[in-house]
Amino acid sequence: MKKILSVFLAGILAATMLAGCAQGGTASSQAPSKAPSDASKKDVKLTFMTNVVGEQASALEKVLKDFEKETGYTVEFSAPGKSYEELMKTKMSSNELPDLFTTHGWSVARYSEYLEPVNDMPFAKDISSQMKPVISDKQGKMYVLPMDSDIAGIVYNVDVLNDAGVRVYDIKTWADFEAACEKIKAKGVSPIHMGGKDSWTIGQFGDWVAPSIFVTDEKNNKRADLKAGKFDPKTWEKVAGLMDKWTKAGYFNKDVLTSDYNSDVEALANKKAAFEFYGNSTIVDARKINKDANLGMMPIPSNSPDDKPSLIAGERIAVGVWKDSPQKAAAIELLNYLAKPEVMSQVATASGNPAGLNGVDSNIGDIKTYYEKYKDVKTFPYFDREYLPSGMWDVMCSTGADILAGKDNAVVNAGKIMQQNFNDKFSQK
Amino acid sequence: MRKKFHSQAIINLFYIPAILLFLIFVVFPLIKGVFLSFTNWNGYSQKYSMVGLANYIRFFTDNNVGTAFINTIIYGFGSTFLQTVLGLSFALLLNHKFRGRSVCRAIIYMPVMIAPLIMGYIMYFFVTYDRGAINDILALFGKEAVDWMSDGTRAVFIIMLINAFQFVGVSMVIYLAGLQSIPTMYYEAASIDGVGPWQGLRYITLPMLMPAISSAVMINLIGGLKLFDVIMALTGGGPGYASNSLSTLVQRTYFGSENAGYASAIGLLTFLFIMLISNFFIKRFDKREVTM
Repeated sequence: MKKILSVFLAGILAATMLAGCAQGGTASSQAPSKAPSDASKKDVKLTFMTNVVGEQASALEKVLKDFEKETGYTVEFSAPGKSYEELMKTKMSSNELPDLFTTHGWSVARYSEYLEPVNDMPFAKDISSQMKPVISDKQGKMYVLPMDSDIAGIVYNVDVLNDAGVRVYDIKTWADFEAACEKIKAKGVSPIHMGGKDSWTIGQFGDWVAPSIFVTDEKNNKRADLKAGKFDPKTWEKVAGLMDKWTKAGYFNKDVLTSDYNSDVEALANKKAAFEFYGNSTIVDARKINKDANLGMMPIPSNSPDDKPSLIAGERIAVGVWKDSPQKAAAIELLNYLAKPEVMSQVATASGNPAGLNGVDSNIGDIKTYYEKYKDVKTFPYFDREYLPSGMWDVMCSTGADILAGKDNAVVNAGKIMQQNFNDKFSQK
Repeated sequence: MRKKFHSQAIINLFYIPAILLFLIFVVFPLIKGVFLSFTNWNGYSQKYSMVGLANYIRFFTDNNVGTAFINTIIYGFGSTFLQTVLGLSFALLLNHKFRGRSVCRAIIYMPVMIAPLIMGYIMYFFVTYDRGAINDILALFGKEAVDWMSDGTRAVFIIMLINAFQFVGVSMVIYLAGLQSIPTMYYEAASIDGVGPWQGLRYITLPMLMPAISSAVMINLIGGLKLFDVIMALTGGGPGYASNSLSTLVQRTYFGSENAGYASAIGLLTFLFIMLISNFFIKRFDKREVTM
């Protein structure tokens, strides 16, 4: 009896293991589904997951409800917030993804192997020229519908700068920026506010400062080296060195390691901070706290006087269709619905950014004047998404935290740790 | 004989659901985890390659593991020490009859009922720099605000204190149960012999309480060594990696650094570490219980 039981249990164990190992390949063999008939539309249940929260998630949820009314489909919407990336990684590992999902800047580097290309879809020809290079892979394939376009600079409180006698248009280089910080600090206001408890807020510093040192200078940059898998720790030390210098100079808020993004927003809205290294959605968030907050956006200064200030262009709310979705036809129908001007406009307005398609307007108020003012400023993709292998973000955050905490040799160690991780992850690509 | 065989076979069949669940949810993930620890899998891609013992070699040379290991020891042993001392003190105090005894017991036990993650967020509002409760109290006395969690070492000890505070009620309840099971005749006999309260505690209470101490210490130790939620709520393992435990390091390595292979190796070695420590203490306590 014992023998029979052992064989039976061993069989079950083996079968379980084989079933687990087989997970990866099954879904991809599915044939594309046909568009459902009117009668069967009630049975179509699509899943839609997004990383965005708050106002933007509400806008998405609203347009999905409108889509449900229009088509008779059911769309199960979820916006899990902070745990979105972890959930998506778990779903990717089991190859069981939502029918549609947002890609938060990683449509090419991380999600492309799971997404349906959109090049042949009707809206593809209208994707804005600023977004096309950002969401295209080496072969020119695009995988998402950009609902908005993220053109980011440094956000600032106009009143704080005026009180300190800082003219934002005079800030061309980091040296100019430091001079402005000195004036603001003298007024008793925190020049830069960073909520380091959230960790990603520290990574933002790398994304905002590194391009001026690695990328934007046409005469002296490391773009080709990074693409070829060569990371220079000495150059990263310059990025880390700025953070160290500004920490020692007292440019960051006192609780830089323990406050969070919400306190950043609050400080910007209430004139307790001058500059923050976030996109324009922070302006939208700050105006929810203080609707009269006088806020603006400026290009990111250059490192060298020979270079010019720049802006960051990237994906924000970009939606893709899982290529193995059992409801692919309906999912594509929803994607095309989201591309309608009146639908896209609602979501782009909520994010405080221009729409991702040409000819679609978003009601973003005075932020629009800044886009128009800086329309000729050169743009570069987000540094980590374009030049670092996936998985480096956390390394940027943690090495930055060590610098902010004033650890010994933190600047040199940051260079070394970044290089080691870059090499490890680049070899896995 | 045949009837006996049949009834035994039927009984054996009832084991199958439990064994199946154990195989699927414990054994299979464990085997898969061991396998992954020899790969460079990033945690989501369908591709990975074998890297031999590289992840295990890295474990022993990684500074972040060293920090997390020391922190785990502090969380485990520090919390256990405080919970044992305070739990026993509360139990001894609340074993006496006085007005309001039940209310006191309830108050001390109450934090146990809160989820550790929620407790972490509640405590965040005590220790946060800007408008934190502790800093507000300091301000009343004209003292400068302190950024309590910005220093890694201090953050570790604050987390340990919060964990001990939350779960001291569990220890108290175990010790109270133990104290109430000690027959009063020992104390009566001892008092006739002129034994004082300290001697009574040392020679009667503590030895008789050894099974309860054994249970409470093991529960607290394993809980402390696995500490996760409070850390995530209060510091997320930061600043940098300064307050990580081995458990939070596994999570961060897996999802943050996208190093699932290495995270599996850390997880397995953490599992072995906790198992060895638990076994060591279980054997020590077993011996003491036998010799009493």
